[in-house]
Formats: sequence, structure tokens, C-alpha cells
Amino acid sequence: MSTGAGQAQGSKPVQGRFFDGQGAARHDVSVVLSADRAELQITGLSLADTLIWPLSDLRALRDRARNDRMTLTRHAPSDYGALHDAARLTVEDGALMAELRGLCPNLTRRDMRPGAWRRLARRGAWAVAAVVLMLFLILPRMADTLAGMIPVEREVAFGRAVVKQMETALGAADLGGLDCKGPEGLAALGKLTGRLADGADLSYVLEMRVLDHDMLNAFAAPGGQIVIMRGLLDAVSGPDALAAVLAHEIGHVEARDATRHALRAAGSAGLLSMVLGDVTGGAAAVFLGERVLQASYSRGAEAQADLFALAMLNRANVSSDGMAHFFDKLAELEAGMRVLPAYFSTHPESTGRAERARQNAATQGDVVQPILSEREWQALLAVCDE
Amino acid sequence: MSETRADKAPSGHVADHTEWIEVMRMQTTYHGTRSTLFWLAVRITVLTAITLGIYRFWAKTRLRKYIWSSIAADGDSLEYTGTGLEKFLGFLAAIVILAVYLGLLQILLFFVGLSVFDAANTSGQVFLQFGTLALPMLAVVPLIFFAQYRIHRYRMARTRWRGIRFGAEAAAGGYVWRALAHWTLTLLTLGLLLPRQTFWLAKYKADRSWYGDARFVQGGNWRSMYGAMRHVLTGIAITLGAGLCAAVGSPVLATVGLLVGLVWFAVGLVSYRVRAFAYLTTHRTLEGGVGFETAPRTGWIVRQMIVGSIVISLLAGMILGIPGGVVAWLVALDIVPIGLVIVPGVVLYMVGLALVSSLTLVWIVQPILAHVVTTLTVINAEALGAIRQRAGDTGADAEGFADALDVGGAF
Repeated sequence: MSTGAGQAQGSKPVQGRFFDGQGAARHDVSVVLSADRAELQITGLSLADTLIWPLSDLRALRDRARNDRMTLTRHAPSDYGALHDAARLTVEDGALMAELRGLCPNLTRRDMRPGAWRRLARRGAWAVAAVVLMLFLILPRMADTLAGMIPVEREVAFGRAVVKQMETALGAADLGGLDCKGPEGLAALGKLTGRLADGADLSYVLEMRVLDHDMLNAFAAPGGQIVIMRGLLDAVSGPDALAAVLAHEIGHVEARDATRHALRAAGSAGLLSMVLGDVTGGAAAVFLGERVLQASYSRGAEAQADLFALAMLNRANVSSDGMAHFFDKLAELEAGMRVLPAYFSTHPESTGRAERARQNAATQGDVVQPILSEREWQALLAVCDE
Repeated sequence: MSETRADKAPSGHVADHTEWIEVMRMQTTYHGTRSTLFWLAVRITVLTAITLGIYRFWAKTRLRKYIWSSIAADGDSLEYTGTGLEKFLGFLAAIVILAVYLGLLQILLFFVGLSVFDAANTSGQVFLQFGTLALPMLAVVPLIFFAQYRIHRYRMARTRWRGIRFGAEAAAGGYVWRALAHWTLTLLTLGLLLPRQTFWLAKYKADRSWYGDARFVQGGNWRSMYGAMRHVLTGIAITLGAGLCAAVGSPVLATVGLLVGLVWFAVGLVSYRVRAFAYLTTHRTLEGGVGFETAPRTGWIVRQMIVGSIVISLLAGMILGIPGGVVAWLVALDIVPIGLVIVPGVVLYMVGLALVSSLTLVWIVQPILAHVVTTLTVINAEALGAIRQRAGDTGADAEGFADALDVGGAF
């Protein structure tokens, strides 16, 4: 086809800037839409031949900042990136741009390389497998093994540091400032602990402390440090219930749960934030992810600590009715709140735990005796009053 | 966005000489507009949130396509040819490696930290001990440098001008140990060797970068970059002087001095970045005799940062504060139960983040970029015509490591 004939029948020639993809020199060209509206004809003094670009191959670059021009290229196979030829043609003629938009069916198509979905599926499977394996198999196993390798005295030192951090977080002006120091109360607490530990083969020296804080909770730090909040003392029904809670916490200490969880979290935190990315709300997603992970590990640990506590109460001849009451109370409190789905909660369902404690109490018979006298219990309740 | 700059050509020469100078000097221009970029940013941020982050690879691609195409030299825009899909694939590949590496290394380092734990009695000791528990963070540092080079290489490989590819050599390993050594030196000298670090790391990257078959060459020397540090050093000097005032018992002078010193230091850091960029750019050449001239103004950039921050806080405060306040009020008066506002609250929070990031893009990032681009001139630009195409770079992991480790900045 001769250039002259094409121009005679085709559209009015417009100016364009052409880059051949071989060199960085610019070619000032004249662009014509052929008479049959099937191709673009590109001619220029610096071009050896007239270039023919079929409209079916034509692609316009997307998401460009300047609307007053259109940069065109051709569809071509490529091993990476967009499936585009290296040559570029920029036109600024509004009429031609409008006509091309109407004529070219594939002008803004996103071409997918064959096999792209298969590659995506394969890589996705690898990535998911690696992350799941690390989070749910390798890191927990390693945490278990490594927790067992830490010498007890190091664990105790770590536990002390953790408790000190916690005191600061709870608002203690100086370390020990929140400690409850009623001597009779502490003596009662010592007696209670002694009866629980008596005959139990514990690998840690238990150190019980009461902190003057409203929170309804007790913590087991690594290495035998157990911290009871005054809020918990106020809430439990009696010494047997408190003994149950402490037995549960001793179970955590003996299983090295806190140390294992710290190790596991150190391994998985970076991994989680990496997978979820710093997207909008990324921090929240990482928090939720960590929460789900934590829950999946600790529900098992909690159930184990419950079993440990029941065995400990049975050996010490303490009725597990107190434990049942405590969990009944927790269940009541939870009913008042909107209950989190089980996979978000770090603890098993309270009603179930209460039920197990009641069943255990039914088998205990009449060997049980109160763990503290009424006088001792009153002294313990008043431990923070001084 | 078309700030014109007085031509430096001396006046009074014959007409054709002036024309010759115009051919040789190629002014770069910026064509992005506030509204288009804003709505693009809002759209892609919302899509990213809805897809739980998966869309971020395509979002980054679209943003770069827009920004790249806003920058033009001699009327021809840059082109960004990366794709969202290759970024996602690269991310998945990086995840496999990082999951194993980071998981194992971090748990082991934490274990080492625990094993050296000893009884601590003072708050200071406790603080120090928790410092040893931050040991796992160190596992990430070499990876961050690795990712920084990979993202540079990927960006270069996916940038074209006049159809010709830019590129960077596969040299991330050398960058990692150099960066580690320079950072160690800079930290040990309390920042005094920062210009040395800036220069050599920039030179490492520049000397391995190409446009087509022409290589970039970084000239100059690091000692000359101390001039760029002067406002940082002045800020430090004033702060130290304030400390001296406090020591000799002049609290008013000390407070004023401290305030002035810290502000001076903060502005000095911006000034250092701007001046270092200008020094490195003007001393960089492209084989074949192409050079660059640039004159970004620190004062303009700092003013834009301040004005932009004010505008962003006012707009975001108005758009988010009013619905947020109404909801808080309804809850406080028990008109609406708190459970009902959780979902709208989360939506509002997401919208807020999208809004602030989009506003930051159009009120701070884009204006500063436009300023830098419009003050840049390519010298001896006609030599560009002789440059030939280079072979493509598959960039196997795209910038997967950078994405996973959150390295890379606004776009």
C-alpha cells in the first residue's frame, strides 16, 4: 500500500512523537488512520518505512497523568511486565484519540500472560504452607523445646523483670509501691499456698504477692512469681475459690506457659506483621491475628492448667465447689458483655469449666476441709488495708 | 505546577547561540494535578482496605503509573511498566523465604536474650534487660538493606523514557554489607560520618544504574557534603548551648535555646536531605556527556510541609471529626447502644486513614516532588539521542521483600 493512497482515503494526518524502542532518538511522525479503519499508518522523515499498526493490536497506556495526549503501543508477547512492544507513539489530536477509543476494542485491555493463574495458585500455596507451618507447627514446637532449655534461675530473673514491668504499667510510682503488706493476711496467704504445694512435686519456689489494684485477675509470671490483684480477692466467694485460682496459676508456672508464649510470640510477631502488611488498618489486623494465634495456643494451656488445679485441690483435700462458684461468677460477668467468638477468647468457655469443677467436687466425698479458717480469710481480705 | 526558572544563559549573545543553549538544556516538567491524584488515591486505598490488603500491589502500580507519567522531560513523560500481578507473585516468593528466616532467627535471638537474663534490681537494669529482648529486631536489619537495593533495582527496571529502559545491576549483596558498615560507623561517630554514608551508598547505587546502554557515574566526594550538614550542626550547637545555660542556672534562656535548637535541628534534617540530593544530582552524569543541574529550595519545601500539614489536619478534622463527634455524643447520651456503632466506627477509622494518606499525597508528597522535578535541568540533552535500548530485567521477586518488610516510602 502506498503512503500517498492511504492518506488520500484515510483520515487527516496528525502529528505524533514516535519512539522505536531501539534507540532514545525521537521521531517526529505523521499518523493517519487507514481508509478501512483497520490500521494506523506512521510515516516520518527519520523512519525508513511506513509503519503499519493494526488497530486490533493497539493498546493505550493506562493511569496516565495527562489527558490531552495518548501514548500508544502494540500488544506483544513478553516474559515479564506488561505484554507490550517496546515502541511508543504519542498523539495529541483529540479527534484521533476519540476515534481510536471508539474503533479499538482492546485499547485499554489488561492482557494476562497464559498460565498466570496457575503460577499465582502455585506460589500462593507455597506461601500459605510456609506461613501455616511456621506459625502452627515449627514455632510452637521450638518454643516448647527452648523453654525447657532455659535454666530455672534465668527464668526466675526474667519473671521478676516481667512483674516489675507490670507494676509500672499498673501505675506503681516505685517498685513495690502497690504491694499489700498486711502481715496476718500474708501469713494466711502463705498457709494457703503451703497447703496447696504440700506433697506436690513443684520445680519452682512459689512467690505470691498481692497488688492493690481493682482488676479482677491473677497472673503467673515465668519462674514461680504469682501476682494476685485485690480485685480478685474482693470477687471470689471464699478461700476455696481463691485456692482454685492459685492452683490454676501454679499449673501455668509448672508448665512454663508464660515463657513458652513469650518465645512463640517473639517468633511469630514479625512474621504476622509481614504477611498482613502495612495496609490501612494493618495494625488492627496484626493485633487480631496475634489474638487468634494466642487464643489457639492458650485455650489448650488453660484446659491443662484447670486439670492441674483439680488434681492439686484433690491432693490438698480442698473442695472444688469454690472453683465451680468462681467460674459461675465469670460466666455471669461474660453474659453481661457481648461474648467474643470462641476463637478470639484466650480462655475456654466458663460454664463448661464450672461444670467440670462441680463434677470433680461430687467425687471428692467428705475428706474435704476448708483451706483457711474464717479469721484467716478475713485477714487475707484485709491484706491491702494497711 | 509549571514553575518557570530564569534561564542561566548570559544575555546579549547572538540569537542562534541562545537557541543552541535551549536545545542543550532540557527542562523537566511536572503535570500531575491535585484532584486527579486525590481521587485515584482514595479509590485505590478503599479497594486495598476492602480486599484486606491484597489490592495494595495493584494500588502501588497505579499510583506509580500516574506519578511517573506526570514527570516529563522535553514533553515526553516517564513510563512505569511494572504490573500488580508480578508484585503479588514476588511478595508470595519473599514470604516463603522470610517466614522461615525471620521466624527461626527471631525466636533464637529472643532465646539468647532470655538466657543472659540476670537478676535486676533497679529500673535502669530492667530497662536494659528488656533492651536485650529487642535483639530479634536485629535479624531484620540486613534484610531491610537488601530490600532497599532490590526496590531500587525493580523501579529502575520498570521505568522507561522515550521507550528506553532504565536498569540497575544485580548487586544487592554488596549493598547490604556496605550499608551495614556505613551505618555502624555513622552510629559510632554519633552521626558525624553521615555525609560519608550518604555519599558512598548513593554512589554504589548510581554507578550500577543505567539508562539504556549508558551508565550513570556519580562524581564528587563525601567531604564536600559537610556543607549540607550545616543546619543540622547549628541545631545541635544551639541545643548544647541551651544545656550549658541550664547548667549555669538560666532556665528561661535554656528553655528558649532548647526550643530554637530542636526546631533548627528538625529543619536542618530536611535541609540536609535537600542539599545532599542537590549535590549528588549535580555531580551525577550519564555516559556520553549528559549532566544534571538542580536547585530545590529547602525553605519552599519546609513551608509546603507546614502548610500541607495544617491543611490536612483541618480537612481531616472537619470531615471525620463531625460524624465522629455525633456518634460519640449519641453513645454518651445512651441514645444508641455502643454495640451498634462498632461497625460504623471501624468504617470511619478506615475512611479516616484513607483520607489522611490521600491528602498527604496531594498536599505534601506531590507538591514537593513537583518542586524537585521543575527545578531539575538535563544538560547536553542531545547526547541522549545516541543511547540504545538495554536488555530487559525479569526482576524475579519484583519488590516482594520490600513490600513484606514495608520498605519504600510513599510510592
